[in-house]
Formats: sequence, structure tokens, C-alpha cells
Amino acid sequence: MEKNIKKYFPIFLLPTLISFILVFLIPFVLGIYLSFTKFTTVENATWVGIENYIQAFTQDTNFLNALWFTVKFTVVSVITVNVLAFCLALILTRAIRGTSFFRTVFFMPNLIGGIVLGYIWNLLINSVLGMFGYDITYDAKFGFWGLVFLMNWQLIGYMMVIYIAGIQNIPKELNEAARIDGASPFNILKNITIPMVMPSVTICLFLTLTNSFKLFDQNLALTGGAPARETSMLALDIFNTFYGRIGWQGVGQAKAVVFFLIVATIAFIQLKITARKEVEQ
Amino acid sequence: MASISLKNIKKTYEDGVTVIENLNLEINDKEFVILVGPSGCGKSTTLRMIAGLEEISDGELYIGNRLVNNVSPKDRDIAMVFQSYALYPHMSVYKNMAFGLKNRKVPKDEIDKKVRAAAKTLEIEKYLNRKPRALSGGQRQRVALGRAMVREPSVFLLDEPLSNLDAKLRTEMRSRISMLHKELQTTFVYVTHDQTEAMTMGDRIVVMKDGVIMQNDTPQMLYNHPQNMFVAGFIGSPQMNFINCKILRKQDCFYASFNEYNIKLPMRMNEALSLYADKEVVLGVRPEDIYIEKEYFKGDLNNVIHLYVDIAEMTGANYYIYGSIADKKLIADISPNSKIIKDTVCNLAIDTDKIHIFDTVSEKLICD
Repeated sequence: MEKNIKKYFPIFLLPTLISFILVFLIPFVLGIYLSFTKFTTVENATWVGIENYIQAFTQDTNFLNALWFTVKFTVVSVITVNVLAFCLALILTRAIRGTSFFRTVFFMPNLIGGIVLGYIWNLLINSVLGMFGYDITYDAKFGFWGLVFLMNWQLIGYMMVIYIAGIQNIPKELNEAARIDGASPFNILKNITIPMVMPSVTICLFLTLTNSFKLFDQNLALTGGAPARETSMLALDIFNTFYGRIGWQGVGQAKAVVFFLIVATIAFIQLKITARKEVEQ
Repeated sequence: MASISLKNIKKTYEDGVTVIENLNLEINDKEFVILVGPSGCGKSTTLRMIAGLEEISDGELYIGNRLVNNVSPKDRDIAMVFQSYALYPHMSVYKNMAFGLKNRKVPKDEIDKKVRAAAKTLEIEKYLNRKPRALSGGQRQRVALGRAMVREPSVFLLDEPLSNLDAKLRTEMRSRISMLHKELQTTFVYVTHDQTEAMTMGDRIVVMKDGVIMQNDTPQMLYNHPQNMFVAGFIGSPQMNFINCKILRKQDCFYASFNEYNIKLPMRMNEALSLYADKEVVLGVRPEDIYIEKEYFKGDLNNVIHLYVDIAEMTGANYYIYGSIADKKLIADISPNSKIIKDTVCNLAIDTDKIHIFDTVSEKLICD
């Protein structure tokens, strides 16, 4: 049996490997190469070294603005999404009526696509702000909190499901032992529940962190970067650089590489830190 | 130190299922009481009600003189050892043991003293910095005991604490727990489904079935004088033989009659059996009270039966023979020196002094 598996292993691996090389590896390597060139199409690329990178950080203030806006947005979103999702998970793992119903309801925003969601929230927020004579593009603050609100609304349900799975995985004897050991509900939360759901925390932090950093369609639909690109996040800024400015494709590509490096580094560090806190049972 | 008193305790779950109907039990201070019974008999539920982990639907529960129905587990002055040990996996052994004291705001140096003392008693000092996952089953069990010990509770509750251990370790831990009880001089309530644990450890055994106490007595009394067929069958391994028979009266003597045999019953049973003449009853006899005919030197031999041997099992100290008398199955625990060959018929004598007669319908003891 094992011999057979070994024999046919390359055959079974091949389709996936070919797809992976074609749709991920080649574009990825090509993308890195293009970030060092000036190009309009892939065929007419001319090598310019690190000029695109210098240009991205010096001649285009939007990039650093977008980076700062994205960082702020990510920090706020990661905290709010995870705290609220965890609280909801705690409530919905109690033996109370209607928990299944609420779990479904909270998960449902995930089923709506980002662009649609952005436009829906654009209408909702504008109708509220409209009562005071504003709209979402009036001030970057509105756009920022609008995006945070949207992100929370969309992701809380998803993260909640992961936290629920984690909480339900805690042996009930541990809580009982802690109760007998005289632990208060807060102590149980701090000393038992949170350490025991660290695997869920790792996953949720990773997902919220990367999703927040990479947010694009909601940003495009809700504010489109307005006012004056102040609410433009990294992904939207890259898109605008690449498609919005002729001759800046290489710079857009360089920004994309920087963007990838930032997301990968942060995700890697976060995974390392939280995985260390996970409990092996 | 505290006594425990359960008065008319009832437990009904939310889905309407009643697991304990009307339980009354008194546990004395410093006593080692075992709750034993098959799965689903309500023994763990009873223990969890004492711990405060399960709500009491009706009745009163006292620990000491205090009614504790509505007292939270942490305020009942109890400690519990769980079947799964329930050690906190992210804490070291030291922290596991100190957790309860820390929650009670005991000064650090006192916590340290108590944890180290308990660790010394249980011989787990060198594992104090380890996490539970780095310990064997027996070591985890000792940590769980230590965690309970350091709190110096009035009552120790143990829920099948040895069931995850292998046979050798279980025997070792059995005596360790008994020693601990002796040392701590505290009330112990111990739940198990293992009758060997029950018989060897407890001052008193409470045998339960379907939420009802079937008998509550010392191990010797349970074994020698079971009050019903359930207890008679549950306690003892291999279990007691039950033979359906009819009571015959000839002059002043009573006989248990089955197949072609008429076993003469002791005179002391006469009074109790007088109502059962010509009625069906169940005769109970333990395997070790059946002898090879020629090795039985007690009284007359009108109690000899012929057993067709299906299986003969030599275990070293015991020699079990499993056989049949027509439609009736029988197990005998005979002398290991006996030479019995399977698929042959052997003559066995029943020690009538040790037999028990049960009512067929109520399954209660008539006389023994």
C-alpha cells in the first residue's frame, strides 16, 4: 500500500503542482521582477533597479498616508473584532435559549460580498450622516470609523464561530475544578478560558490582521479613498497607482511587493508569538 | 472535618428525566464511603450534587450542620478529584496545586509550604516545574490528589479517580488513597464502578441502581449478607450463582429443589421459609462456597450436584470452573490443586451454611 502511494505520489501531485506554479509561483516571481522595471505590458519591461521603490516612498506621499491609515485601521479592527467576537462567543456558549439562532444571524454578514457590503453601508451611513448635513466623504474620520464598523460587522460572526469552537473544546471538568478551587468567573476567564482558547486566538488574529491589511473592495465601495485619498488603504492605493497613473505600473508593482513583505512579516511574527502561548493538552 | 447528610434528595434534569428519586444517606465525619454501581445508576450525579456542580431538584443537603443546597462549590469546603484529573494543562504542577490557595488569597510563603509538603507526601516533588502533559497517568493522578490535599478541605470527593490507570498502578494508588485517608482524617466520598476498589477501600459501601440505594453497609456485610439479588450479583467476582428452584417442605426440613436435586437447607431458615413452601425462589451461592465433593468435609452430603464442566480456568491462586447442570449455568471457585478436566462431569458440594434465598418477584433476600 505504502509502496503504491509512493509510486503514484507524483502523478496525484502533478495537477495541483502545475496549477500552483502557473497561477501563483510564476506571477509572484514575475511580479517581483516587474517591480524593478518600467513597463506598460509584461513584454516591454526595462530594468530600472530600485528606482520604483525610491519613487514609491519619496515622490508619492499617498503611499505612506495609505500605509499609516491601514496600520491605524488594522490595529483598531483587530482589537474590536476579536474582543467583540470573543464576548459574543462567551455569551453564545452558555446554555441559554436561542443560541443556535443567534450564531447563524451573527455569521450571516460573511455571506455577502465585500463590494455589495460596501455599497450597502455607504447608503446606510450616508443616510444617517445626511441628517446632520454630512456624508461619509466629508471627513476622513467618518470614512475610518465607517470602515471599522463595516469590518466588525462582517468579521465578528466569522471569528465568533472560531472562538465558539475553541470554547466548546475546553473540557468542562477544568471549569468545574476551577469553581471548586474557588476561582471567580473572572478568574476562570483569565486563568482557564483564555489560555485554553489560544489556538483560536492565533487563527482569529491571523485572519483579522491579514484581512484588515488587505482590505480592498469594501474600501473601494464605501469611500473610494475620499476625501482626497485620505481614506485610501494600501491595496486601494496600489490599485490606483497601477491603473490610475500612466507609467507608474512599476511603482504600483513595487508597492505591492512592499505590501506583501509587510503583511507576511506581521503575520509571521504574530503566529510565532501566539503559537508559543498555545496549550498542548 | 464534616459529616454529610442527604435528605430526600431528588434530581430531575431539564428534559424531565429523573435520575435520583428520593435519596437518603448519612455519611459520618472522617468516614470513607464508597458509592458504587453500574453506569447510569446516579452515583456520579450524587457526588456532583455534594460538590455543588449539579443543582439539587428537591431535598436537603447538609455538610456539617450547614444546609448547602444553594451554596456555591467554592464555599462548601470540599475538594474534588476528577476521573480525567482535570489538571490545568497550561500550568505547572506547582501552579496547579497552588491555584486553589491563590484564589483564597493565602499568603505566598504558606502556599509554598503547603504545596511542597503535599508534593513530598505524594512523592511528586521533582515534577513541580513540569506541565501535566509531561507526566504519566499515575503522576497526574497524584498531582490531582495533591491539588485537593493542599486545600485541607472538610470533605474529599473522588469521582472514579483510578479508572484511567492500568491495573498495576490502580492497585498501588488504591492503597495510597487509603493511606491518605488515614493520614488526613477527613471525610472521603469515593465513586467507582469497580467493586474491587469498593471492597478494599471503603469503611462503608453504598450500592446504587437506577438512582436508588440498594444497600448501604460495610464491605463484609455486603458480601456476606446481600439484601437483594442486585447487590449479591454486583459484589463479588466471579459473581454469585443464581439457581431458580422450588422450596419443598418435608416434616421439619426445607429443601431447595431444582432438576433432580433437593438441597437440604439449614434449620435457621425454617421460619423465614415457612411462607415459601412449594413456591419458586432463587438460590444464591458464591463460587467459592462450592467445593469438590471429596474436599468438602462439612455435614452430610445431600447437597452434592453433578456439574458438566464447560471451561476450567486456572488463574494461579484460583481455579474457576464454568459448567452447567442441564439448563442452569454455574461457576465454582475450587482448590487450585484440583484436577478437573473439561467436558467431563464432576461432583460438587454446596456449602449450605453460605447460601442465600431470594424472592423471585421482589428479588429481595428471604434468608441467608
